[in-house]
Amino acid sequence: MPLGSIDRTPPPFFRVGFAPLTKLIFFSALSLLLMFADSRLQFAQPLRAGLSTLMLPVQWLVLQPGHAARAVSSYFENLEQAQHNLAQAQLKALEQAARSQQVEQLQLENQSLRQLIALQSTVANPSQVAEVLFDVADPYNQRVVISKGHVQGIAPGSAVIDAGGVIGQVTRVFPLTSEVTLLTDREQSIPVLNARTGARNVAYGEVSAGLAQIELRFVPASADVQEGDMLTTSGVDGIYPAGLQVARINHIERRSDISFARILATPLAQQKGRHLLVLQPPPDLATTKGRTP
Amino acid sequence: MIKVRGQALLLPVSPWFIVWSLVFALLLSMWLGLSHQLWLPDVLAIFVFFWGIHQPRRVGMGIAFFLGLWVDVQQSALLGQHALAYTFLSYGAFTIHRRLLWFALPQQALQVLPFFVLANVTQWLTRLIAGEAFAGWLILFAPLCEALLWPLVSTLLLAPQRRAHETDVHRPI
Repeated sequence: MPLGSIDRTPPPFFRVGFAPLTKLIFFSALSLLLMFADSRLQFAQPLRAGLSTLMLPVQWLVLQPGHAARAVSSYFENLEQAQHNLAQAQLKALEQAARSQQVEQLQLENQSLRQLIALQSTVANPSQVAEVLFDVADPYNQRVVISKGHVQGIAPGSAVIDAGGVIGQVTRVFPLTSEVTLLTDREQSIPVLNARTGARNVAYGEVSAGLAQIELRFVPASADVQEGDMLTTSGVDGIYPAGLQVARINHIERRSDISFARILATPLAQQKGRHLLVLQPPPDLATTKGRTP
Repeated sequence: MIKVRGQALLLPVSPWFIVWSLVFALLLSMWLGLSHQLWLPDVLAIFVFFWGIHQPRRVGMGIAFFLGLWVDVQQSALLGQHALAYTFLSYGAFTIHRRLLWFALPQQALQVLPFFVLANVTQWLTRLIAGEAFAGWLILFAPLCEALLWPLVSTLLLAPQRRAHETDVHRPI
């Protein structure tokens, strides 16, 4: 048996490096410092941005099996399904045609009315389409990563919508990707307006019993709220443009011992599509970095 | 060297095999993470612990720390929380690496369970202190799954070192 064929070698006498306890203390202290820096001082952001850019090719690799499976399944999607989709799309286009004709007229009317009362006309925000790369692999948080970042001009704080309504807000921007926190995340909030009554409120993310919803807090039990009420963005924050659909109220619980009602709403964002629209915040707000409403 | 009865003499490990196994674990944990299940084991933690037991002079706390940092960025968690857990795990592996290999694999699994529990509890505590909510009771199964995977991972990762000492051209295996 050759000499080098056994795994066990005697431990080195002289070059043993630092004691394990020293290393433990050093790396633990480094971790704690990083945690503190990340949560309080904000100077860990360049490190995070650098590492996340380094990680992109690896993430691309991880996503490939899923993409391949999806490509194969869509290839085998049968003709019937395609025809069905086409019919649905035509029906929808027809419905929307009627509405869009109304919109033209309403917009005109609205413009003249606003001029009449000398209100600032609502400014259309510049927007960008981005693709959802993946959900962030953290069961505690509700976030997705999208395919555009600092280089493409995404600003932190931008509102993100899809075909159904508001999805969330850009909370972290890396060079080539950015992170969107969904409305249903526990730390996310959005100012809303009840479209039926005009009451303003702030909705907070709420994940209970596995259902991702948003909650209206501090609404008096006697307030005029009904199940099925539509919530839209109110625009008071200056970040989300006013009038975007947010959620529909689906649960109201009034209890006699608490003076507030417990109101839950389901977001209208579909989250099925792979593409989102990122609305740039107004220029005066874009300069204040990482601001959340 | 004292030889444990019934334990095979192992070939020296190839450093590239360590590297590729850790890369594989990283990819697998990224892929598993896409499913958002709380009870899924942290494969990377098992691999880091395994190499900490078998090759404590090659895979130490430094590598564990940087892998943890990578996972933090990838999960966009608080920077340093996985790094801290993996550092603890690696230190734990160092403290028991001389003793553990004297036991059979099922008994080893029982002995590594507390270390995986400790690593998970570290993460829960950091999240709790950072102000995040408790995710759910399913999370208690994660360390259990990790300990249950220990025999499998040990068998698989030691397989390359269990080949014949001298290649014999007349023998197919």
